[in-house]
Amino acid sequence: MSRWRPTPAEERWIEVVSELATALPRDFMIARTGGWRSTGLLARIALFVLGFVAAALLFGVLGLGDRINLLIAGLIAVLVAEWLTVGRRLHASGIEEGLGVAGFVLIGAWITTLIVPEVEFIGGTPHTLVLIAAAGAAGLRRLNPLVTTCAVLVFVHWSGSTTAAHALDAVIGHGVTTFGLGCALAAIALALGAREFRRPSHDRMLDWLVATLPIATYAKYATWNYFAVELVTVDGPSGRLATSVLLLALGIAMLVAGLRRRRHAPLLGFMGCVACLAVELRLATSLSTETWLVLCGLAALVAGVALDRYLRQPRNGLTSVALNDRDGPLDLLQTAGAALLAQRTAREFPAPQPSFTPGGGRFGGGGASGSY
Amino acid sequence: MHTLEPELRTLHAEGVIDDATAARALVRDRGQVFSLHTELRVTLYAGVLLVMAGVGIVLARHLDRIGPRAIVLAIALVAVACAVPAVRARLAGRALNDAGHYLLLLAVLLGSANLAYAERQFTLLGPWWSWHLLLLAVVHAAIAYAFGSPLVLAASLTALAGWFGVGVTLGDALHFASSTPELGARALACAAVIAGWRYSDRRARPDTRFSDVMDHFAANLAFWGAIAWCREWPWLAAGLPLLASLAYASVLRGLNAGREAFLVYGVGYAAIGLCAAVLPRIHGITMSLGFALIVVCVAAATLWQLRRRLRAPVP
Repeated sequence: MSRWRPTPAEERWIEVVSELATALPRDFMIARTGGWRSTGLLARIALFVLGFVAAALLFGVLGLGDRINLLIAGLIAVLVAEWLTVGRRLHASGIEEGLGVAGFVLIGAWITTLIVPEVEFIGGTPHTLVLIAAAGAAGLRRLNPLVTTCAVLVFVHWSGSTTAAHALDAVIGHGVTTFGLGCALAAIALALGAREFRRPSHDRMLDWLVATLPIATYAKYATWNYFAVELVTVDGPSGRLATSVLLLALGIAMLVAGLRRRRHAPLLGFMGCVACLAVELRLATSLSTETWLVLCGLAALVAGVALDRYLRQPRNGLTSVALNDRDGPLDLLQTAGAALLAQRTAREFPAPQPSFTPGGGRFGGGGASGSY
Repeated sequence: MHTLEPELRTLHAEGVIDDATAARALVRDRGQVFSLHTELRVTLYAGVLLVMAGVGIVLARHLDRIGPRAIVLAIALVAVACAVPAVRARLAGRALNDAGHYLLLLAVLLGSANLAYAERQFTLLGPWWSWHLLLLAVVHAAIAYAFGSPLVLAASLTALAGWFGVGVTLGDALHFASSTPELGARALACAAVIAGWRYSDRRARPDTRFSDVMDHFAANLAFWGAIAWCREWPWLAAGLPLLASLAYASVLRGLNAGREAFLVYGVGYAAIGLCAAVLPRIHGITMSLGFALIVVCVAAATLWQLRRRLRAPVP
């Protein structure tokens, strides 16, 4: 039994409890999980935000102008987070995670104030690297996959600012080095995912990397390339070809791994690769944006409908039917997504007539501000 | 990869879980049954999003080349085609599957965009143009009830909120600077209408699946309205008690129904409203930040305690 964080055995029992919550007696759960206390997903997100904001406000109260206050606020936030963990046995409950991450980042920010501005580290600024290291350390301490993933993503983006990356980019195309590094890390995470880990949280950290790295690193590359196509000149097909081959290879590997291991993360990563390949198709051809959007959308819908039908009866253990009724947060997200789409559609409506006063507050339709 | 098989076997051997529960858990842990439900929903949502984005650009760019009547007709045909699976399922007496729900949503959204475009081109209702949103809300609601679709209901409620002049996304809620008491009153009126609709629906159809969607819309709109009232005197006198009442009701609903989201709404919006009411009246940045810090700490502690109570059996 550890005071600092759940042991691997306790963490595994916490995982079992979250799978079978209603089927297990309360005393049994407490005994096996070491008394660690957690919370639900929505409350965890809210408490994480509150903890992070509290640490930032603490720095503000101490005084924004003085650099040493970064260290003081950071230390206080980390100590409170540790007290909540050790004293109150909170794990993955949001508040101690928000405080801990903000505390580490504040301490990292204080360290950056000690670095001479002219110093460089392999051609990139070391300040960002210190902050990345601080966030990564906080993520590992808290076993939080979101924070470790954010740290890795920022690190991949930072690597693009180094002289080595600039030199490589000059040969293989702008942004390809960063994208290649992202794909390489995703491939490593995918390969490591085949190993059996004692801690479920280590699995989740790798899963998040597999699911997000390809699309997140490609987003930066494609943004640049979009403008290159639209506004400047294309710097040769070699970079694009390399990108497409990388995406294709990674996508196939993820699909195979996802189906073999029966894991969601590689399948989500595969879907990200397909989306990136669709963008590459748009950049490589003269398709108009609207045609490309409609074609991709129809392809996604046809694929979804076909899979839904094909897997309604389980085939080789795969099914399109939900296996449990714990889709609460996803249902909420789906409702919000439908509302967002409906709101975007409503913007197609004509502007208010000149005789109408926007935001007039009159009911019966006259109250509509027109800004909606 | 990790497997929880040893723990599940231990539970079964100790008699903590029965044979059926153990078998189900083991089958899922080994991946002998694996659901692609989440991936399918993401794919279908992305499909609807992309098609709607493409159609939006078509409407904006190709008016001169194709002509308004051809565009209206083409989009109407596509919308009808998207609704075919839902209609067939209804005629056959089957429940709509996920793909059917998303295609129906696409049909409804295409219909909305088409109506908006037709109104822009042909000014069908002239000065009564703003009634289009109410018309859409009613038509979408009818479709939602006909096919039992919560997604289309969300589109209907969004159109209704739009008719009241209120946006329903988080971005709209966070535009404090543009929040006026009038806007707050409209949001509250819209929330009241949705709440009334929700209770009528519940009474008429006890097995309804729409209550959750309506609850979320009504709660968010009511809180946004109350917070808008908290920013200016004399509205503040009504806004703060209203905010407190809404927060209490939301927390009570969360505890009684075992719904975590309503605990988050109650505590989170109460903290935001309190800051919106008090911070403009405090002089000095240290005092302001100190007050906000206290509010945040109290909110975090309250949410944690309430979330703990959610796990206990509710009387």
